[in-house]
Amino acid sequence: MDYDTLVVGAGLGGMESSLKLADMGYKVLLVEKKPSVGGTMVLLSKVFPTLDCASCISTPKMAATQHHPNIDVMIYSEVEEIKRDSQGRFKVSINKKSTFVRHDLCTGCQQCEMACNVAVPDQYNFDMVSRRSAHIVYPQAVPKKAVIERQGSSPCLFACPAGLKAHGYVALTRAGKYDEAFNLILEDTPLVGSLGRACFALCEGECTRGSLEGPVSIRRIKRWLADRYYGGHPEPELKDPEERNGKRVAVVGSGPTGLTCAFHLAKAGYKVKIFEAQSTPGGMLTLGIPAYRLPKDVVARDIKNVTALGVEIETGVRVENLAELKSQGFEAVFVAVGLQGPAKMRVPGEDLNGVLYGVDFLRRLNLGETVRLGQRVAVIGGGNAAIDTARSALRLGAREVHVYSLEKENELLATPEEVEAARHEGVQFHHGRGVRQIKGDNGSVCSLVTIAVKSIFDENGRFNPSYIEGTEEEAFLDNIIASIGQGAELNFTAGLSELTGANSRLVVDPETLATPVPGVFAGGDVVTGPSSIVKAAGQGKRAAFFIDRYLRGEALEGAGFDYRLPVVGKEEVIARQHTYTTLAPVPGKELLKEKASDFTEVEQPLTEEEALYSAGRCLDCGVCSQCQQCIATCPAGAIDMGMQDEKVEAEVGSVIVATGFKLFQAEAKPQYGFGKFKNVITGMQMDRLLAPTRPYNAVLRPGDGKVPENIALILCTGSRDQTVGNQLCSRICCMYSLKHSQLIMGALPLADVTVYYIDIRAFGKGYDEFYEQTRGMGANFVKGRVARVEEKENGNLILHYEDIDNGGQIARAEHDMVVLATGLLPNTEYMNLFTGEELQPDEFFYVKETDEDLYPGKTSIDGVFVAGTASGAMDIPDSILHAGAAAAQAAAYVERMRITK
Amino acid sequence: MNDRRIGVYMCYCGGNISDYVDVERVRETIANEPGVVVAKTAQSACSDATQQEMIQDIQEQNLDALVVASCSPKLHTFTFRGAARRAGLNPYQYTQVNVREQCSWTHTDDREGATKKAINLIRAGIGRTMLTEPLEPIRIETVPQVLVVGGGIAGLRASLGLADIGLSVLLVEKSPSVGGWVDRWGTMYSHGKNGKQLIAQLVDEAKQRKNIILLTGAELVEKSGSMGNFMVRIRVSGQKEDITANVGAIIIATGFDSYHPGEGEYGYGIDGVVTLPEFKELLDRYDGIPIRDGKQIMDVVYIYCVGSRQDESQENPNLYCSRYCCNAAVHSSILVAEKNPRAHQYHLYRDIRTYGKYELLYDQSLETGSTYLRFGDDEPPVVEKCSDGKVKVTVKDLLTFGEEVEIKADVVVLVTGMVPRRNDELVTLLKLPVGRDRFFNEIHPKLRPVETMVDGVLICGACQGPKNSTETVASALAAATQSASILKKGYVELDPLMASVNPELCDGCGECVAACPYAAIEMEEDQGKKVASVNRAGCKGCGGCVPVCPRDAIDLKGYTDAQIKSMIDGLLKEIV
Repeated sequence: MDYDTLVVGAGLGGMESSLKLADMGYKVLLVEKKPSVGGTMVLLSKVFPTLDCASCISTPKMAATQHHPNIDVMIYSEVEEIKRDSQGRFKVSINKKSTFVRHDLCTGCQQCEMACNVAVPDQYNFDMVSRRSAHIVYPQAVPKKAVIERQGSSPCLFACPAGLKAHGYVALTRAGKYDEAFNLILEDTPLVGSLGRACFALCEGECTRGSLEGPVSIRRIKRWLADRYYGGHPEPELKDPEERNGKRVAVVGSGPTGLTCAFHLAKAGYKVKIFEAQSTPGGMLTLGIPAYRLPKDVVARDIKNVTALGVEIETGVRVENLAELKSQGFEAVFVAVGLQGPAKMRVPGEDLNGVLYGVDFLRRLNLGETVRLGQRVAVIGGGNAAIDTARSALRLGAREVHVYSLEKENELLATPEEVEAARHEGVQFHHGRGVRQIKGDNGSVCSLVTIAVKSIFDENGRFNPSYIEGTEEEAFLDNIIASIGQGAELNFTAGLSELTGANSRLVVDPETLATPVPGVFAGGDVVTGPSSIVKAAGQGKRAAFFIDRYLRGEALEGAGFDYRLPVVGKEEVIARQHTYTTLAPVPGKELLKEKASDFTEVEQPLTEEEALYSAGRCLDCGVCSQCQQCIATCPAGAIDMGMQDEKVEAEVGSVIVATGFKLFQAEAKPQYGFGKFKNVITGMQMDRLLAPTRPYNAVLRPGDGKVPENIALILCTGSRDQTVGNQLCSRICCMYSLKHSQLIMGALPLADVTVYYIDIRAFGKGYDEFYEQTRGMGANFVKGRVARVEEKENGNLILHYEDIDNGGQIARAEHDMVVLATGLLPNTEYMNLFTGEELQPDEFFYVKETDEDLYPGKTSIDGVFVAGTASGAMDIPDSILHAGAAAAQAAAYVERMRITK
Repeated sequence: MNDRRIGVYMCYCGGNISDYVDVERVRETIANEPGVVVAKTAQSACSDATQQEMIQDIQEQNLDALVVASCSPKLHTFTFRGAARRAGLNPYQYTQVNVREQCSWTHTDDREGATKKAINLIRAGIGRTMLTEPLEPIRIETVPQVLVVGGGIAGLRASLGLADIGLSVLLVEKSPSVGGWVDRWGTMYSHGKNGKQLIAQLVDEAKQRKNIILLTGAELVEKSGSMGNFMVRIRVSGQKEDITANVGAIIIATGFDSYHPGEGEYGYGIDGVVTLPEFKELLDRYDGIPIRDGKQIMDVVYIYCVGSRQDESQENPNLYCSRYCCNAAVHSSILVAEKNPRAHQYHLYRDIRTYGKYELLYDQSLETGSTYLRFGDDEPPVVEKCSDGKVKVTVKDLLTFGEEVEIKADVVVLVTGMVPRRNDELVTLLKLPVGRDRFFNEIHPKLRPVETMVDGVLICGACQGPKNSTETVASALAAATQSASILKKGYVELDPLMASVNPELCDGCGECVAACPYAAIEMEEDQGKKVASVNRAGCKGCGGCVPVCPRDAIDLKGYTDAQIKSMIDGLLKEIV
């Protein structure tokens, strides 16, 4: 790309320079970082002193800029570097930010905006109302195209090993779109009900609210969604896809990994068959987790989500030979057999009668076998499985259940809630104790000898417990159930020795889950070691993605499975909250008895109100929640969540910097109470209240919606004020306040307007006449600086000021609304634009005009010019002239370079 | 009835129109008008999205004419003509109806009346549109040369700017030498440069340019033609022959005059009471302590806003603020303090308007010991001559709560503002629009700040309104830019909405020639008879010739008699 001039910034100055150069016949590249050209002016109400409608004057310029054949406009793009090349021209690198909406397809219909479920403060209305994450910045935007604001992945969503869009379904729940919320989860996993109960919810651990008053109850919302949906839909709405691709895949194991993999493959058009060795499907969901935590009917309903897609599950078949499956016509095999064998304690007496293993114990229990236990039971282990075992033992009638863990109380792997519930039910804990010996009597367990733990891991970080000798204790017990881990039972790898790795785990590429044997993939616990349902589900989804690629003959390497954006920082999210409301989480509710005796579910569901309340606590960390509703709604199919930023290079002959100004942040003048007092607003907010596209469609005070009757305008807020570090006058605030006065008096004929000023600087053409007109209309003018503002209970404001015209004493006045005429500050972003040469700032950090006497707009770099407020505060007519001057010199520079060539 | 297919778009203008006019009712009524195929409303008709929608409708519905009922045609005629063109529709098949200024803003208290008026105005617009025919703009090859009138800093800088972009310049200065006011100054604010040196630098550069011709003692005496190709005649004093030239555009940079106080105004006339320019020139003469009448100047009083912000009750008051004078006076006081640190300086002001970065001058002046006293609009300071040769100034200082202060000064500086330079001949010759403040008027301060209502005639510098020298230079360069954007393309297109004569009806009476204010009608021979002929480049489409023609032989394209009648019919139609 080759241009005569690069113009940075498409506000008024940038547009004017671009249009004039383009009219002269020069090729212009105009880069704007916002989603629309137009800058600040289009947001104003009317403009002084003519009181023209600001957007009526801006929009033709905006449209002309966009459509000019000699101007290429790049919106939502940032110039990252400008560097002079050996030819004297400038090389420009631009980052075209991802809008997540394909602008070649977007028609500006705003359907996405209406479907979007995230509201954030609308910066184009200066935070007085909210807008959606998917949005068109304002009605007059040019181009009128949507963008989706994504600050990054929300922490909950980023933390989920199964890639569930937690933020998305929370946002949908908040919006009352319960079916959509359920279906969003179902897109990623069939195990909605199971995960709603038995997930250990890493999402909640990462929730930004968690670092404040407690995380959003994401898991329980999910459970509520599943219960609600399953209640209304005993059978899935999912249908066996009629069109299949004709390829068959075998999945070995029907645990969460296998089910999820089969689910995704079936959706992709494969014919999938699951082989399950046990008599019921579900793996650990059915056989590992006790029913009081995860009822069997919930698992069964989750499995229906898989079988509804035409997935066949054959139970009671143990796959003995993988190679044989291939010969049966399965073009790929996914091994997800989990870990079925118990880990042994390797202590004397382990072979005595009455010693059991947790995995076996729970499986037998869940299969409905009768398991008899004595009165006193010890469970060895500190994980959730140990707790499950202990609580199940209680339910079977054991009078005492003791849990012995190597870990200290605060080091337990089990979740604190589980430990607490077990303790409540009567389980006794013995932390930091290892098993030394099991003593027997007549071949049966008689007692357990434990010893205090010194350390669990050795200096190399390996599991290698050491004990403190002499601390042995003996407890008399009837049963000892070891729940210290699981081992693999790999009986299907005959002839495929390359599959097996250390620890009897299967060897896979951790990214693609492909084993060394072509067509054989493996995942879940048999690969990762004992983990969790949610990680298992993640493995299943990953396997399906790569099996699909494999079967379509696509390369596995380098394929992007995870397109999540980097996680957004919590500090950033908290800093973004203008008004933070503390909302306590809904406390956990478990039906706990002193002595549990049956396997009915203990955790109580949220009510709809609680689910809504909980979802309402979400802070929308990533802004976009990825609820996918825009994708579903967009009639043009323009939404592209995988869109990436694009780097664009261009070569230009000259540069005009038109990066504009920054508004003084009124919070920096705390005496005036902006941000604290709701009825103190800024000049820009007043302009929005008066604009044709005004947010409330009336002039109201934001605190309570009352029509103000007595409005104060405080001039020089942040200007001519050493205490805020800005001694300069901002040139525009006197005049825009006079304009506000006139417009307010027009909109609210009964309202009083009082202007507190130092000097009224009405210096431009027609300005002083405008001032006199404002006085004539009845605005009050009070010379004197306002020292501070106080808020009354009714929202009115007391101004303390120096009343110079009446004897100079300190006076007080009450108003029901205060408008701070905030001034302009330099936008220093230009400082990073150039490499190799310095675009010098002036002493106030505006772009320095090196020869403003005869070359206004000329900067410290030859061929680089500044237009408009980037060089200092100025009003619209002055900006336009200044931009015209910059254009003349940029054109002259281009001509000179041509001649020198 | 003809079979036109017209699209009508009714604009809400945010709320500018819809707050006072029932836009939806207007649309419903208009939708039933004959010829109307599409009738729609839009929040902002001028928005890019609505323009796209119009283009789509024109193409899909085969529309052959377009009506937009929105704001003044001054604002958006070109916008919607452009939309029509992009849709493949002849832009002159477009009519704009002004319901915002003519209905909603004028009848804010009468929604029913405003709505009905809007309906009738749109019907008139449709009536005109019914009879539109495709027209082609008149294309004029442009002359790549610009006439610059006035050789002050604005004219000089504009000339150089034009030459830099590759345009030739004819620079005409009335007085014997160029330089204007700036050539009289020494150190100037805010850059601290010497005015005389700035001018010398510009003149030096201008002389080196082959494409700048500089004529001093010269005046523009005649102009004809139109934007893109004017013929101008310039009279140079001492030369017998006038110079004629063709130029594509004319930049007026005739500057300002300093306000001249009336006898006795703030003591003007008393020895020791001087204007700001006089004081500046005095200061420039001394490197050390300035001396007046053989005495060191120790006590200075500045009285601000002399000749500016005058009271409305005065005869021909200057109501405006002169913008540069606060800064200039404050800057002068800094110079005084530099030259004579022991001087006492008193500033009697109304509002100190050291805007923007000039605030630093004010700070600096305070730091160097100047005292500021504020007087009320209704109680100006009184200046009297003292017996000891000093001048006594009495003022009620509002900053010390109305305390009466008496100052004896060596010099009283009347901080005089700018007044428009009288240029009656030029105004008449070029038909330059003059504002209420008697400065030249731009078309629009924001959209077209250097253009005048006369196409191709631009204004810059202080002739448009008070400016300091850097602001003047910026506007001069903006005028250069605007000239180049007209001329660099090689041609301009003029509106074809102009008079045309039917030679068969014309009897050559010549009434129209006398009526034309632009001298655009001439009599010529046509098949043996004398008929009127319109110079297309000169005709402005004002229509002045149409009613005077006794034979109805002249029609105005775009506003033919038939169209006007059709519009009247539309206006008179009953609203059910």
